[in-house]
Amino acid sequence: MQRIKITPRNNWQTEVEKLGFGFHTTNIPYWDESVYYQFNMPEILAIEKATAELYDCCLGAVQHVMDQGLYAKFNIPAWAIPMIERSWTEDHPAIYGRFDLCYKDGQIKMLEFNADTPTSLYEAGIVQWFWLKDFDKDKDQFNSVHEKLIEYWKYLKNYLNAGPLYFTCLKETLEDLTNTEYLRDCAIQAGLETKLIFIDDIGWDSENREFLDLENQPIKNIFKLYPWEWLLSESFGKNMLEDKNKALWIEPAWKMILSNKAILPILWELYPNCPYLLPAYFEEGKLSNYVKKPILSREGANIDLVMKNMGIAKTEGQYGAEGFIYQELFTLPNFSDYYPVIGSWVIGQEPAGMGIREAESLITDNKSRFVPHLIG
Amino acid sequence: MKKSSYIQLVLITATLASCNQSKKNDWDDNAKVHIRSDSTAPYTRVHHHGGMGVGTALLWYYAFRPYGNYNNGTYQRAGYYSSAIHPNSNVGTNGFKGAVTRGGFGRSGFSVSS
Repeated sequence: MQRIKITPRNNWQTEVEKLGFGFHTTNIPYWDESVYYQFNMPEILAIEKATAELYDCCLGAVQHVMDQGLYAKFNIPAWAIPMIERSWTEDHPAIYGRFDLCYKDGQIKMLEFNADTPTSLYEAGIVQWFWLKDFDKDKDQFNSVHEKLIEYWKYLKNYLNAGPLYFTCLKETLEDLTNTEYLRDCAIQAGLETKLIFIDDIGWDSENREFLDLENQPIKNIFKLYPWEWLLSESFGKNMLEDKNKALWIEPAWKMILSNKAILPILWELYPNCPYLLPAYFEEGKLSNYVKKPILSREGANIDLVMKNMGIAKTEGQYGAEGFIYQELFTLPNFSDYYPVIGSWVIGQEPAGMGIREAESLITDNKSRFVPHLIG
Repeated sequence: MKKSSYIQLVLITATLASCNQSKKNDWDDNAKVHIRSDSTAPYTRVHHHGGMGVGTALLWYYAFRPYGNYNNGTYQRAGYYSSAIHPNSNVGTNGFKGAVTRGGFGRSGFSVSS
């Protein structure tokens, strides 16, 4: 794994905008092609293997949480449990997830699993692929995101309810919209009938007990780029239990177990010999070098890094009310004071590629940049 | 090879990029606004948090969107609603609205970015 500085394409902004990538720069740069990471094939195969094994462990952990009724550790309300367990036992469609991995000194460690609403899919699947085409089209890249998405939508087509597959997200965020529309693009190419509806445009018919679109048509299948914990906490949340159409929500409700950092101590308890897991606990005091993480948080907020019981880095935020976990500290590798984290994608149950976000601190937050990679 | 051999996009185009327009922050933090989706619904006070990002979202929030039904192939508008306002002010009733309410999802954040 090497970090290599290069000169960006002269017209890179135009090139990425042609792809529909409109959030390459906000008030700070996000897409950064002044650098790339080069991996050799054994390193890529190691990441692929780790991703597959971790996904297997995660599925085992979900079953364990259900068998042992550990929902309270996840701050999941009791009324949501039947919905979660039904989505698991009926094997409701799931399309994707992203492991955040640290790759250092030949070791790969899972930091967390973004199993419910992972973003940066478009950057990983499309933008860096087209970058490679311009930069060195003969080189390889760990990236079959696009074809796997299309193939898996084709497979899921037979498991959906009758009617269109809706795609929904918040309306005032171009990043969320781009990720959602990209998934819809792949679903269209897979032959599915799709519609876009913003999350707050969804209607609830209290007489007929069903969710409706803007034309009052029933919603029976819906992909949502919107976290389960938010859905549950909102006024329509409990309506999902009463929905006469039993709409399929993608990602399914059981993903709220894996997207919650409470899964990290559970995984460690179940698989202490897994080389890709870090020790993690619900209790403070078992580790002297650790990361304190809220069980529910986003974009690296409210994280404390502690070494020898002394804080070395910290981020602020609004999370933590639901509780924390403590994970052994395994700092990101330092490349001239840049710290990359690998986002390794699972699509349709299989490793599918990766994207790299690089920060200037040990905590990957919302100021991190997406940088491309290739296999050299 | 570990990469896709061919990529085609059928939906995402420069149209999406054109959404990336900077928006003017014209919200007055001291404004007290009471608002309703249409004349069948009660007024409620609009609450906001001001500051970075929120004001710029107002152009999106204050779009009052029509909704309705298809009846014998003809579209009939039932009313308007907006995510900017309290659900109570989206729930007024008339013959077309029936028992449908909107705005019950989508209030927990401004982006899911993760």
